[in-house]
Amino acid sequence: MAGCSGALSALDPAGPRAANLATLWWVMLIGATLLFALVMVLLLLAYTRSDWISRVTPGQWIIGGGLMLPVPILVLLTGTALVLGEQLLPHGEAPVRVEGEARQWAWTFRYPGTAMPPTETLHIPAGQPVDIVVTARDVIHSLWVPRLGGKIDAIPGHPNVIRLEADEAGIYWGQCAEYCGEGHDGMQFRVEAHDPAAFAALMEGGNP
Amino acid sequence: MSAQERRALLLLVAGFTVWSVAFVVLYGMQALGCAFGWGDWHRPMLIGAYLLSLLPLGWLARQRPYSTGEPATTLSISALWANRAALVAGILVYFPVTFATVCI
Amino acid sequence: MSQSDLSPIRLHRALNDIWGTPPGLGRLSSVNHTVLGRRFMVVALIFFAIGGLLSMLIRAQLATPNSAFVGPEIYNQIFTMHGTVMMFLFAIPMFEGFAIYILPKMLGARDMAFPRLTAYGFWCYLFGGSILIIAMLMGVAPNGGWFMYTPLSSRPYTPGINADVWLLGITFVEISAVTAAVELFVTILKVRAPGMSLIRMPLFAWYMLVTSGMMIVGFPPLILGSILLELERAFGLPFFDPTRGGDPLLWQHLFWLFGHPEVYIIFLPAAGALSTIIPVFAQRPILGFRAIIAAIVAMGFLSFGLWVHHMFTVGIPHLALAFFSAASALVAIPTAIQIFAWIGTLASGRPRWDIPMLYVAGFFVVFVIGGLTGVMLAMVPFNTQAHDSYFVVAHLHYVLVGGFVFPMLAAIYHWMPHISGRQSLYRLSVPAFWFIMVGFNLTFFLMHLTGLMGMPRRISTYPSNWGWDWLNLLSSVGSFILTMGFALVLADIVMQFRFGRPFRRDPWHAGTLEWAIPTPPTNYSFAALPRIDAPGDQLAPRLIGPQLAGGRGYLGFPRDGQMETLGVDMVTGEAEQLIVLPQSSFLPLWTGLATGSIFVALLFGFYWLAPLGALLTVVLFLLWTVKLGRKHDSGPVDIGMGEQAPRDVECPGNVTVLANRTAVVMDAILFSSLLFGGLFLLVVAPNWDGLAPLDLPLWLLALALMASTAGAGFSWLARRANASGLLIGSAVAQVLAVVVLAVLMAWVPEPTGHARQATMFALLAYATIHTALGALMSSYGIWRVQQGFVSTRRNTELVLAWLWNGYAAAALVPALGLVLMLALAGDGA
Repeated sequence: MAGCSGALSALDPAGPRAANLATLWWVMLIGATLLFALVMVLLLLAYTRSDWISRVTPGQWIIGGGLMLPVPILVLLTGTALVLGEQLLPHGEAPVRVEGEARQWAWTFRYPGTAMPPTETLHIPAGQPVDIVVTARDVIHSLWVPRLGGKIDAIPGHPNVIRLEADEAGIYWGQCAEYCGEGHDGMQFRVEAHDPAAFAALMEGGNP
Repeated sequence: MSAQERRALLLLVAGFTVWSVAFVVLYGMQALGCAFGWGDWHRPMLIGAYLLSLLPLGWLARQRPYSTGEPATTLSISALWANRAALVAGILVYFPVTFATVCI
Repeated sequence: MSQSDLSPIRLHRALNDIWGTPPGLGRLSSVNHTVLGRRFMVVALIFFAIGGLLSMLIRAQLATPNSAFVGPEIYNQIFTMHGTVMMFLFAIPMFEGFAIYILPKMLGARDMAFPRLTAYGFWCYLFGGSILIIAMLMGVAPNGGWFMYTPLSSRPYTPGINADVWLLGITFVEISAVTAAVELFVTILKVRAPGMSLIRMPLFAWYMLVTSGMMIVGFPPLILGSILLELERAFGLPFFDPTRGGDPLLWQHLFWLFGHPEVYIIFLPAAGALSTIIPVFAQRPILGFRAIIAAIVAMGFLSFGLWVHHMFTVGIPHLALAFFSAASALVAIPTAIQIFAWIGTLASGRPRWDIPMLYVAGFFVVFVIGGLTGVMLAMVPFNTQAHDSYFVVAHLHYVLVGGFVFPMLAAIYHWMPHISGRQSLYRLSVPAFWFIMVGFNLTFFLMHLTGLMGMPRRISTYPSNWGWDWLNLLSSVGSFILTMGFALVLADIVMQFRFGRPFRRDPWHAGTLEWAIPTPPTNYSFAALPRIDAPGDQLAPRLIGPQLAGGRGYLGFPRDGQMETLGVDMVTGEAEQLIVLPQSSFLPLWTGLATGSIFVALLFGFYWLAPLGALLTVVLFLLWTVKLGRKHDSGPVDIGMGEQAPRDVECPGNVTVLANRTAVVMDAILFSSLLFGGLFLLVVAPNWDGLAPLDLPLWLLALALMASTAGAGFSWLARRANASGLLIGSAVAQVLAVVVLAVLMAWVPEPTGHARQATMFALLAYATIHTALGALMSSYGIWRVQQGFVSTRRNTELVLAWLWNGYAAAALVPALGLVLMLALAGDGA
């Protein structure tokens, strides 16, 4: 899907977590397309008066269409999504933990336990999960790096954790997803994923 | 007939009212348990409340207002279906207490 | 007494004189449901046009990257107002107006249960909406987004009056939703034609019954949230300020506790219209009537278990998200049942094709897509990508335009002949449909992709490097096509009123009672009320209509120049009471203006003026009752068809009592939201560590509780023994409780210092207001007794005094209990 690529595209995943989310989307899209087509065909048949359809009984419409069709699909889908959600949760401690603080209208990332000073660019190691502890100083913001994973809100007074992972070293982009006032448009930030060795050196050297 | 209809009207909303109460109780227990650190007791208590909530739901799903031998009215059949739906909604919606992570 | 020997023409004249609205300025005194329903819909459509214009500005701004059309400060006001206007000033009032117009006619009643309340609701809607629009024209419109998240909407980050305009204007408008909810609920249950038992009600009435029930539960959390946020903004009580023990998430919970059911509150009336229109064009009764009733009841409840799916990314634990995710997926099932019931009705009937069905087909296409994307968004992992992106913008427009605007367009084409008395000659409606359909899908279908490609909602502009340019440009082009479609619909409506072809009765061969009255409708609707002996949407209006016009039915005669309709037993539908309705009056207008003075005073910071406005409003409300009621018992009176019924004032289960009980339920839900808020802050909010416990004067709590309980006890005895003198004791005891509670409020140390004290203050304020209300109701009872309106049979005032006094005393227990808990908070920390 070349048309879907882009530096902020959730459909162009660059990490295992975002890839899972994209797969979930494609599966749901196919399912939804089939269901939509089914409903439209039935509606069309109702008007073109195919003999077969006028013999469907009320019970069959309600039980078949209203229960037998959607219930298994929804149970299966919700179950799958919940299992996936469990896997994506930040269980335990990730090897690297970064603190991200949002304010109107910029981000600051801190690297506790390292020599690295606070940065406006988010530095992470490639190939391993990273926990970002997200808070806000003033109003609610939301941290979203679409190619590496979902988003989490930055709420004053409630530190939240999101786990992200990039497959390869490179430059990615994140942004604020929760409306936060006049500067909301401009709250993009750069994410630099480094090889683990380069990342370790960076954290020790403290020189971005 | 009219007595059956009055009962049916009550039954029509009874199942989902129980469902709503169970929802509030389970959501409340989840939040309180995390805030006050119920630890290992947290999930068993949630599961207990889940099973407990299914009792009245199951009982309601079997209540036929027309069990007295009167012919079933439209409303009483709607009530029966609504209560069965409430039971299924209870089973499915609260089932995650058995496996989902409670406090993350 | 019976004068059914009048000729149809003379009967018409006699009833017309009684029910007419005065001409000229007197129109402002109208309390008639036909007039007010039309006014509601016209004003709602004007707001729809305003909201539409705002969306044009949005699409103009976003058509190209790096747009310099408007800056973010203006753009933020535009998108906030677009959402606010469409939700609060268009969608809700539109279906309210539609229901007010059509429901009494479908139920075989001459008017709603409380005509003056309808008028009061209309004025609140008009004035509140006008405040918002005037503020926008002056450049100080709300700019925090239509869900007004705190702390962005709190004083430090929105210092101007923008947020106050939203909170006060919307709360003012919501008064009309509250009055409509109570009124629709009572009217559907009590004010019908004899013989129309619950199960014979047309499906639309069932849909509206569930809708009004949902409004009774759904609106109080929003109203409470708005009051608390305005208290924070105006007086510094920090309910939502995390630095002082408040919590911004409390606002989100309160808002979405309203906001999600709201979507279904908007959808259900539209679905009700579909369930009425589709059988008419399928030429067979709806399929699965019983399943649909179960489905809408299920939907009504389930929709209250979804609100957190707007908050999947705020950091709530996965188990809690799982409940809401599962419930959000499950709510698709009652929807699917309805969809297949409608398709099945068409499939097994003899479907006709006409303009309303064109728009119904549009509904199927658009709404099914919206439903499917809704299921996707209910999945937590996917939601973490799609949330707050244009995918959500696409989804919500598919749901709301598919689930409300398309059905309303079908309803307009179905019922416009009823309002205008004319049928459309020109087929502008067909090209209009295609413009709307193509324009809508071009605009919003692409937005799914725009969102997944990373475009967050509510940005005023974007650079050219993210790949969103062509998608946005096409969306903007589509939106202009869409607008042309709506312009054509408007032109079509005007043409129909001007040049349409008059018809005699029931042009669609419908099965509901509204087509049994003359069109355009007479102000009394039914010259006589029918006896219903078949399902309410399988009647034959063509046959019933002429009989009723001739006065053959209930109440087919004028009596004492009074506006009469019938009240029925809510289940069996047998005639139970004769309801006498109040006539045209300017009081609703004056009361609406007085209510407005409260909001304007608060808006401009004249806080001392607001209590005066509130006092004036209460006094005006009391004036409503001056001429209401009777000073003599009259016993059962003739209602025609050889039957008799007592007058409403002599009937223990009259509509006034039911409406007050409903209002108490609504009030109790507002109170429960407040209790929830207090507990939420206590358990979850940050910055509660290190609080010192407060030394609460317990004897004052006990005194307030005892006084209020005594007040309730006296009012109970007064009702029980019909001894109205005891009301004096009730009033005195409640006044004592008010004084004690006021002392406690003054005692609360530094309510602005921490959310703990602020919550205690709010709880005590609630208790004070309700004990005062108890005292007021008792005093009102005493006044009515002295006027001679109360007797052993006519004891409504005594019932109401006990109801409100009993509630006040009962509410005091949890209120003071939580105050005590809050005072002790911090003990262990």
